[in-house]
Amino acid sequence: MADHEVGGGARRRSVRHRLPDRLFHWVMALAVIVLGVTAFLPILGIRFEWVPMHWMAGVVLTLAVLFHLYRVFFVHGLTNMIPGVDDLREIGRNLRGHGHDGLSDAKFDALQKGYHAAASATVLVAVATGLLMLAKIDTTFWRREPSILSDQGWGVVYMLHGASAMLLLFLFILHVYFSFRPEHRALLVSMLRGHGPEHARKDSE
Amino acid sequence: MELLRYKQDVFGQSMLVGMNWEFLWLPVAAAAAAILAHLLFRILRHPG
Repeated sequence: MADHEVGGGARRRSVRHRLPDRLFHWVMALAVIVLGVTAFLPILGIRFEWVPMHWMAGVVLTLAVLFHLYRVFFVHGLTNMIPGVDDLREIGRNLRGHGHDGLSDAKFDALQKGYHAAASATVLVAVATGLLMLAKIDTTFWRREPSILSDQGWGVVYMLHGASAMLLLFLFILHVYFSFRPEHRALLVSMLRGHGPEHARKDSE
Repeated sequence: MELLRYKQDVFGQSMLVGMNWEFLWLPVAAAAAAILAHLLFRILRHPG
């Protein structure tokens, strides 16, 4: 390991994201982009056969999420991503323009944890409702069976799927913006190459 | 305009159909506002 200047301060560098986790991230990113394009373009009036691409990308996203959950529960643990008292203190200090003196080192800072929690909940709702909606289409693998829910039930499923899609669009735009901020460049590179700052929040920064 | 879409069922009752996609601009506008707020916050915190 070596120390490098990143974002104005010296941060310890190591393997921040392992290959399986980077692959998960980019497979999920690709799936979300395909899902967004195939969902929103038809709404905007651009007509094409969007359903097959949409459900297949949804299945890919579901498998990616299952893989990620396996990595979380059996490899990494939840510790790095669970918000704590120092995360609240960090937000308060950030708003007052203070540094991170006295805060514990953390792989993910407070806003990253908040973003992850919001994105996780949103994706899980989209995946769960999307899986139910697979019962509405015929494929090579199964026949449609819409009678598993009442019309009112389907209305709720469609509403939740649509709301999660709209929230995901909001989160996606923010994610792209913050990823390309100069102060986050090392974090973006670490999602490509693996190596990067060990801690996004470091004491004395 | 309502955020959710409804239709009448065969009994004339209002039934939820899903989100009203006329509000698709909302997440884009909200993201643009959040980005603008962040940029302003950065400028005010680090003037020059």
